[in-house]
Amino acid sequence: MKEKDASVNYKEHQLILYVEKKDGSYGPVKTGSYITKNYIDDFWYKRKKLEQDYMGKVRKGEISPIAYYMVLEELTPSELASRVRMSTRKVKKHLTTRHFGAITLEQLQRYCEVFNVSLVNLLQVIVTDKKNLKVIEEKTDNPFFTILKISAGKK
Amino acid sequence: MTFQHKMAAHCESGTVTALLNHAGLSISEPLVFGISAGIFFGYFESKKFPFPTFVVRNRPGQIRTGVAKRIGVNFKEQRFRSTEKGEHALDSLLAAGNPVACQTDFFYMNYLPNHVRVHINVHFITVVEKRGGVYVVSDCYSPTLAELDRDSLVKARFAGGSFSPRGFIFYPVSIPGSIDYRKAIWSGIRSAAFNMVKLPIPFIGVKGIRLFAKKVVDWPKLARDVDHLSHEIMKINIFLEDQGTGGAGFRFMYATFLREASELLNDPDLLEMSKRIMEIGDRWREISLFAARIGKRRDLGSDRLGELGAMINARADDEELFFRDLLKLGKSKK
Repeated sequence: MKEKDASVNYKEHQLILYVEKKDGSYGPVKTGSYITKNYIDDFWYKRKKLEQDYMGKVRKGEISPIAYYMVLEELTPSELASRVRMSTRKVKKHLTTRHFGAITLEQLQRYCEVFNVSLVNLLQVIVTDKKNLKVIEEKTDNPFFTILKISAGKK
Repeated sequence: MTFQHKMAAHCESGTVTALLNHAGLSISEPLVFGISAGIFFGYFESKKFPFPTFVVRNRPGQIRTGVAKRIGVNFKEQRFRSTEKGEHALDSLLAAGNPVACQTDFFYMNYLPNHVRVHINVHFITVVEKRGGVYVVSDCYSPTLAELDRDSLVKARFAGGSFSPRGFIFYPVSIPGSIDYRKAIWSGIRSAAFNMVKLPIPFIGVKGIRLFAKKVVDWPKLARDVDHLSHEIMKINIFLEDQGTGGAGFRFMYATFLREASELLNDPDLLEMSKRIMEIGDRWREISLFAARIGKRRDLGSDRLGELGAMINARADDEELFFRDLLKLGKSKK
């Protein structure tokens, strides 16, 4: 690839590409990500739609919140089971609303670690019609307890 | 000595290169990649992946082990059963002023943009320093040194799942006084070419590229809906270009390796091969751009996917010829 073809002006996502330089030598150049620059809107559109579809299923009681996060984070029951140190069979049960109720707090905590969400956010979503709200979750030394700070952001 | 942070195309080759440079060995990322026989192709369908996927580099860890074996660098490597012991070992090394490479789950690298972070346990970073509860991290994908909180690093180092890192750390402890680059380079070339054309496994090497070409046409049957299919098709571009390959699924970096090797060994045959793989890389990039375009337009009918499959198959033809010639050349230089 010629150096001029690699050049993408996009500071938000930089990467290294190896190219043929003007003098004919090969070497690295730092440039912007072509796909992020040109297709990020489409990525977020699909992501939002997926979130809405699966949140709808959670609301209807068709799936558990664990299934919701598993799909969003592109994991399979087998991979998730290995990450939470449980059997695939058990994880598959936890994906259903019926068996989700029987989960222990300690097991739930293991899922939270993998999904990188707080315990409380596995059981609720925060929705507001106010703009510029800043929501910060503060961890405490107690793994089962977080503080949610909601403040008005800068306009 | 202060650790010099530098972006690199790929996390493992970049991390190994940075640590070797820090230890006093002047070596480039393409040389590390080529000597360790990094170039590869594999098409995988597994219960561990939500969708079929492909890889364009050798097995994680083999860049380190390959370069160590072929140039004689000795790395100290440690895994841990206990989080506390793993954390303590890292902190002690940092306190003694040693930058340390860690294997991590990419998902927890919260200094990188959200859209790139996925659960994959084979991301390599160099931890440079600990300041209070925060680690200073040199990540090849970050333009500057980054900060990572203790909690995230612990989660990343001790994530479960495929290729679980188990706190894996490594750093060089000895560098040989003189290196036989001729032997190392040709050994790396022969190994890579063998993997691409001689391994009798249907989903590896050129056979893997052909399998990918055949299977991509059937991807609509595996997708939830057209948006999901579009996402997976556009990931072809990400895997080839954006996910730390240096472009065209490492083919551009491999061309640079062959060019550097030709200069180092004064070998015109390698120069010729570097030009050939650069051209093949250009055609892989056409596939990346095509995949991104049809994905965005949701133009994913069987004719369009057939076209994509045909383009991938043509790359298999190119690479079969290229790696057979490279293997022949490698054998003649023994």
